[in-house]
Amino acid sequence: VRAILRLALLAAVLVAALLVGIRVGAVRLPVLAILDAVRGIGDPTTVAIVQRIRGPRTVLAALVGGSLAASGAAFQALLRNPLAEPYILGVAGGAAVGAVSAVALGGFLAAAAPVAVAAFAGAIAAVLLVFRIASAAGRALDTRILLLAGVVAGSFFNAVVLLFLTFADADSFRSALFWMMGSFAGATWRGDAVMAIGAAPALLVLFALARPLNLLAVGEDTAAYLGTPVERTKMLAYGVASLLTAAAVAASGVIGFVGLVVPHAVRMMWGSDHRFLLPASVLLGASFLVLADALARTAAAPTELPVGVVTAFVGVPFFVWLLRRRTA
Amino acid sequence: LSTYARRATHSAASPALAHRARAGRVACVLASALLAAGCAGRDAARTEASSSVTSTTIALVDDAHQPLRLQAPARRIVSLIPSATETLMAIGARDRLVGRTDFDTGPAVDSLPSVGGGLDPSLEAIAALKPDLVLGWKSATDHTMHERLAALGIPFYAVRAEDTTDVYRTIRSLGVLTARTPAADSLAHSLRTELAALHASVQGRPAPSVFFLVWNDPPMTAGPDTFISQLLGVAGGANLFGDQAQPWPNVAMEEILRRDPDWLVLPQGEKGGANSVERLRTATGWRELRAMKSGHIITLPSDLVNRPGPHMAEAARRLRDGLHPELAGR
Repeated sequence: VRAILRLALLAAVLVAALLVGIRVGAVRLPVLAILDAVRGIGDPTTVAIVQRIRGPRTVLAALVGGSLAASGAAFQALLRNPLAEPYILGVAGGAAVGAVSAVALGGFLAAAAPVAVAAFAGAIAAVLLVFRIASAAGRALDTRILLLAGVVAGSFFNAVVLLFLTFADADSFRSALFWMMGSFAGATWRGDAVMAIGAAPALLVLFALARPLNLLAVGEDTAAYLGTPVERTKMLAYGVASLLTAAAVAASGVIGFVGLVVPHAVRMMWGSDHRFLLPASVLLGASFLVLADALARTAAAPTELPVGVVTAFVGVPFFVWLLRRRTA
Repeated sequence: LSTYARRATHSAASPALAHRARAGRVACVLASALLAAGCAGRDAARTEASSSVTSTTIALVDDAHQPLRLQAPARRIVSLIPSATETLMAIGARDRLVGRTDFDTGPAVDSLPSVGGGLDPSLEAIAALKPDLVLGWKSATDHTMHERLAALGIPFYAVRAEDTTDVYRTIRSLGVLTARTPAADSLAHSLRTELAALHASVQGRPAPSVFFLVWNDPPMTAGPDTFISQLLGVAGGANLFGDQAQPWPNVAMEEILRRDPDWLVLPQGEKGGANSVERLRTATGWRELRAMKSGHIITLPSDLVNRPGPHMAEAARRLRDGLHPELAGR
């Protein structure tokens, strides 16, 4: 019951965050004008700003934040490594290779959507490649080898991206660099819908895996003794968490820190039962990124800060405070 | 990558220069690798802005090959390009500007609201200004700005700003878009005349070799077919790296020492920057150059020489006066 209350509280926080995300921006708008604009009445420019710019952008930040936090929590359990985060197995690198090749091929291919599609394809290719390398080493999926394979593949993808950028012209260089910094500026309702349709089932699968993940986090042998289908759980969790990361990276580029820190924060505050940890991470991650993006848009308005800068600047002190509180 | 790097991206006037400046400033592994090569291949595609003005509608094709139709001359323009902002002012269309970027500064534009950086402006800040035309960077690979603005019903015109023909074409297009073609034509004419006169003044004189510094660590310079290289030629100098294939090549310090230019052109931005004369005078490699030892150094404000716009004749004149001091004032 307490867990449900806490989740309700976190859901309320997310709703508040979404309202803040729509309330603030580079342009100062009165609350009443925003309320009118949500209903589609009033000044057409305000309606466009609220409905077509802030709305989709805020929702995308929530979707990406939730996906990354859930994915990070799953990877931390799966790899039994506190440093695990969504990008640790080379997914971001693969996505970057996909995105920069789309940018390089250029011209008609490289409108916003195809870059996202190419990034997603690259991310999925990276997942399959890493899985292939890891499973070649033995019959069962050894998570230590999976981790090594992921890190090695990630380094390789980074090298490919650097090679591309070395020979890129100014245009491609700029596009690729902006993509890699990560941003929600390109959000559209259509993109949000695609992201939501992909992320919702993946999150449900992860929630369903909560109990086996609890056992896996203790140890694979223990989990196996207790009747958990260890291999199937690992494969499923790996696949689904990677899918979430791939979708998030394709939608908004690489946004660091959320997937690493949000699950840890939830664990430190409320324990590490995945039945609670996963949904709580989704809600907290979503709220965190929505607020971080709101701050990124307003802190130096009209200049937008990269959202990754905000997540680190706000997240690091908070995390240090949590660590100190725990040890005290 | 840091915000710092991003600021550097925008602070330069042309995207190609921004590329250099940014790369130079990002002190991380990524950047050092990025720097290693620079821009391969320049975009060959260039449209002559085909213009047709009927009684009211204006139809143009922009530098990214996208058609643009305006029902009437633009009255509320947001310019994301400093050189285009300068061009608008030079053709007497200052009153049409309603927005600028963080990098347009000076008494004439400071009163305008900024929309952020030129490459990643705040979309809602632009929308709130209710512009009927946005001028932005032309990019071969990235039409997102065009698409985002189109979704909001805001017309977008992409501008390429790499060489002097781009300058003339942009002057002409902006004249058409604001219905100030006579002023635009006279600006273009006076620029052509001034450059021709400068070029004529150096005819028959030996052309000293000139190294133009875009960035110093690692060294980057202007290749052929850039407006900088063209202005050097007009000013009676020979670009030390006019033989490069790339528009903005990285060149090894060793190669600069081997070619040992007669003159150095060092654009100066903020005081004490990495490109400042004080710093280069004692820097490894640079201090060995003949031009550095003999003081054959021309310094120019970087905003003047990095913006392919209406001030390029002034930039050329100052280069000519530096390279051929006996002609100064004529």
